[in-house]
Amino acid sequence: MYPVSSQKKSWTFANEAQLLGFRVEQNSKYIEEHESECQDGDLEEFFLTPAEERLLLKQYEVYLFDFCRRFDPPMPKCVVGTAFHYFKRFYLNNTPMDYHPKEILATCVFVACKVEEFNVSISQFVNNIKGDRNKATDIVLSNELLLIGQLNYYLTIHNPFRPIEGFLIDIKTRSNMQNPDRLRPHIESFVDSTYYTDACLLHTPSQIGLAAVLHAASREQENLDSYVTDLLFVSARDKLPGLIDAVRKIRIMVKQYQQPDRDRVKAIEKKLDKCRNQANNPDSELYKERLRRMYTDEDDIPAEDASFHIADVSSDTSAMNTSQ
Amino acid sequence: MEDQACPRCKTTKYRNPSLKLMVNVCGHTLCESCVDLLFLKGSGACPECMVPLRRNNFRVQLFEDPQVEKEVDIRRRILRDYNKREEDFGTLEEYNDYLEEIEDIVYNLCNNIEIIETNKRIEAYKRDNRDVIQRNKTRVGRDESALEEMLELERVQEESRKKELDELETEHKKKKARDKQALIEELMYSGKDAAQIVTEFAEKAEKQREEEKQLPPPKSSNEFSTGIKFGQTADPTLIPVPKSEEGPLFVYEQLIAITDGPTPPPTDEIESEGYITHIRPETQQENAGGFTSTMACERALQEALQGLFYTPTAGVAAGI
Repeated sequence: MYPVSSQKKSWTFANEAQLLGFRVEQNSKYIEEHESECQDGDLEEFFLTPAEERLLLKQYEVYLFDFCRRFDPPMPKCVVGTAFHYFKRFYLNNTPMDYHPKEILATCVFVACKVEEFNVSISQFVNNIKGDRNKATDIVLSNELLLIGQLNYYLTIHNPFRPIEGFLIDIKTRSNMQNPDRLRPHIESFVDSTYYTDACLLHTPSQIGLAAVLHAASREQENLDSYVTDLLFVSARDKLPGLIDAVRKIRIMVKQYQQPDRDRVKAIEKKLDKCRNQANNPDSELYKERLRRMYTDEDDIPAEDASFHIADVSSDTSAMNTSQ
Repeated sequence: MEDQACPRCKTTKYRNPSLKLMVNVCGHTLCESCVDLLFLKGSGACPECMVPLRRNNFRVQLFEDPQVEKEVDIRRRILRDYNKREEDFGTLEEYNDYLEEIEDIVYNLCNNIEIIETNKRIEAYKRDNRDVIQRNKTRVGRDESALEEMLELERVQEESRKKELDELETEHKKKKARDKQALIEELMYSGKDAAQIVTEFAEKAEKQREEEKQLPPPKSSNEFSTGIKFGQTADPTLIPVPKSEEGPLFVYEQLIAITDGPTPPPTDEIESEGYITHIRPETQQENAGGFTSTMACERALQEALQGLFYTPTAGVAAGI
């Protein structure tokens, strides 16, 4: 039930400004922590700005959709929807400078496959990835726990697909519209384009579904307004403005979406190569060093990450050793 | 078994496999032949500690360590007098103190600590508690006789059962002889084929053997050989299993479906209003799993309507 879900409680936000607030906060937090890495002194030149991050992530959302579409074996729609949810949620609390989107992208899809019970093994999964498959396996598996941790272990996603089915059943039963099944292609393309927007973080799945149905109806020169006002909301007219507003906002979001400019994204990616967190870059020396230390003696080497409490404890004990 | 040797004649278990070590109240060992030799007159002194001993107090040593043997002996003697039970005391603490006193006494006597004083203590105790001791002694006697009675009863039962079996056996033998006789007579006087008669009789015998196999099993007893009954209500002396603390009982509460949207049609309307006609009927496999298309239809409709009333101001998410 969506009304009592964690999705509603923790992952449906009031407005776009709130989302922007999270993203800017993550960006400035990263810059603050890594200020020392910038030699030129011009922070804006060295680090990505929130707007650049947004653009980069938009490009990777396109990649994400392509990856899912080409996936072999073909994956059900709900896996795609869930993967997009995870991707968006992850970058609300993290910046792409910390974790490169191409790694998180694959991990999101992998976790979504599991959660939506679309059974693919990791070897089957990495067959869909170009390049070094062993490395990809390592990256996906090592990021898996990080991802679900960052999602706060809220893995259940309510996608708009079932609500859409519900609306179609209801329309077929109660309205006199001819052959509602012809709406399906339009509905599908609309839902696909909502993936590129933040609609799923701002609206309920049923609202997105209804928006898709209404949009499809207008494409087919049909009018379902009477269905909404006279059948759906007949007993709750006062709630109608809220719904109309939500549907309008979703449709505007979809309409206003623009594909990111390839050249700009390329420039941003170059910039990212310099300013990204080297500790999380699998090609960097720092990462390899950290990995090596983690594997050789996990017990007494403190984890690099300052968020681990172990680090504090072991530094205390080492201080004790020197004083003795 | 390596070093079981008589301290006097130095015979070992190895040289004399039938060596029997004996022990007396003082806790020193002697082999059987030495006991025979030394205590020819019936009494004498222990060759080790010179304590006067009686021959008929010698027992076969059960424990390898004679010290343990001695302790067992002392304990038996002490417990003859210190025979109070838990019921004789007001509190558990008093009973525990009493048990501890016994242990003290036994320890002292075993290790020759303040023997005289300890013996005085025992004497005083005996004097003070004479009637209690006497009473408990008779009680012990009663318990023992009850046990003996039970054993006797069991023995009688065993005997009667054995007799039954014997009777059955003789009966069986007689029958076999009769059958044999019948076979011979048949062969002699009947005009049938001999081979056929033999097989007929063999079959008959086989059938009988089959029947005998299904003899009634020994009648089930409802007592252990110790006389403790089982299969009946628990012995009153056994402590009942402590009842675990139970929390408050489960109270069923009807699930309240929060829709936050228009009310979905109730289950009975799914079919009557024709919603069901717009959904694929369930396959046989799905039906076997308990799923019906009504459920799927209802769920889709519910999910379509859930959260339609949602407005951002109505519920502002707080992030993680």
